[in-house]
Amino acid sequence: MGQNGPTTPVLRQIGVKSNPLLAPINTLKEVRSNRFLVRNLIRRDVRGRYRNAALGYAWTVIEPALLASVYWFLFIMLSGNPDEMYAVWVLLGVIVWGSFSKSLNAATNSLTGNVRTMHLVFFPRSIFPVSGVGANIVVTMMSCLIILPLLYIYELPITIHLVWIPIGVLLAGFMALGFGMMMAPLNCVQRDVQHLIRFITRAGFFVSPVMWTAEMAMERGAWGEAALWNPMVLPITMVRHALEGKSVELPDSIVISSLVVSFLIYVVGTMIFSKYERGAVKYL
Amino acid sequence: MTETSISLQDIVLHFPKQRNIFGIISDFFRKKIRRFTALSGVNLHIKQGEVVGIIGRNGSGKSTLLRVISGIYPPDEGMVHAAGDISLLAGLGTGFSPHQTGRENALLYGSILGHSEEEMLSKLDEIIEFSELGSFIDEPLRTYSAGMKARLGLAVASAIKPNILLIDEVLGVGDPNFREKSKNKILAMVKGASTVVIVSHSFGLMTDVCDRVVLLDRGKIIAEGDPQTSIKAYYDLEE
Repeated sequence: MGQNGPTTPVLRQIGVKSNPLLAPINTLKEVRSNRFLVRNLIRRDVRGRYRNAALGYAWTVIEPALLASVYWFLFIMLSGNPDEMYAVWVLLGVIVWGSFSKSLNAATNSLTGNVRTMHLVFFPRSIFPVSGVGANIVVTMMSCLIILPLLYIYELPITIHLVWIPIGVLLAGFMALGFGMMMAPLNCVQRDVQHLIRFITRAGFFVSPVMWTAEMAMERGAWGEAALWNPMVLPITMVRHALEGKSVELPDSIVISSLVVSFLIYVVGTMIFSKYERGAVKYL
Repeated sequence: MTETSISLQDIVLHFPKQRNIFGIISDFFRKKIRRFTALSGVNLHIKQGEVVGIIGRNGSGKSTLLRVISGIYPPDEGMVHAAGDISLLAGLGTGFSPHQTGRENALLYGSILGHSEEEMLSKLDEIIEFSELGSFIDEPLRTYSAGMKARLGLAVASAIKPNILLIDEVLGVGDPNFREKSKNKILAMVKGASTVVIVSHSFGLMTDVCDRVVLLDRGKIIAEGDPQTSIKAYYDLEE
């Protein structure tokens, strides 16, 4: 490629609309063929985030730990004595929820935030939301290192089920990607979208099991049961149960519906993105 | 080499005029979309080996035309065809990260421009040498002067040999010494690439390197021919 050999390159059409129905697969292909670019964009994002900080990457752990301690304090004030693992459950909830909400915001703003690059070079635009979400997943994986001292302090067994931790984080990121790709083109037209999404991620904190757990919800009757249908219950509970040394224990209907919903969000999100992205960038 | 390299057929490109949701809704009810036409019916055929210049006043659609060729804006009507890989040279150093070293930024910018990892790693030494950054290459980019960043940008961008090279006003960066070197480098790239399209206000350069110059006005091709004729048409336009 790129050599001016005797073989003349073939004429091909530029700017052909790809079929939006194939977008869920095409997005994966685009990421695969641009993986060097995705890797570099993720590195740029992660490096930029902890610049000029004496504690540097330690903040990936410190931030959720500080947040969790505040929520733990709040919970003790409100309801008295929680079980001894409660602080840990909040910490894991904060990490996974934080990853989801930052990923969602990054994906929603991925087109509006890269105007200069988009005007000067062409590559598949799905690279922007994917690398935005990817950077947050990398940071979250670093946050998850806090699990190692927890295993020691609480004398938890090291089991094969710990692999559910990265899987839970990836599942949350996957949902954020789909939802964010749905929103990114609309955000190009009206920035109200990003403010709305920011509100949703703040409000979603309370209806997701961050300060509460699936077990608590199941003791609260009909409202508690209804709360389990939130698709974020699965990834957060998956990570918590992994630390306890077991695979996720939720009703089958909840697990299946969460997986189906996540998958549908991705499918619809990539389709909307591929259909409207080219029109939307003209508004930038 | 008389094969077609770039072919633009009846290209029409609109930009939306209504930039908020209320405007879009009101357009919807009026059944008439208010829009700005940036390119209207552009036909251009460029053969392999040709060097074509595009001139025109500010806002005449020159840069937009390059973006259509490179795929950034898909046309609303008409078709674009091109043979081989395309590289758009514009805004050198897009996407640079101030917190990473020159070396890391070279790889980052290279990947943004669409180069593969192997290609970049094999050309990295050459890039560093051309950028004349010396030991600064391992310092973070925030310590660089504007000229140093521009040099690094040009060094990376010029390391590839695309089939089609699109140049949008990137001459004249850095100190006079480097400016001369960068001009030579771009001229070398022009010779190396099989097809070149240049957008520039520097008519001297156009006359020197272009086989053909196209004059664009309000999104339409007004004149097309040898450099002298088109440049004359440009001045007639100004009156």
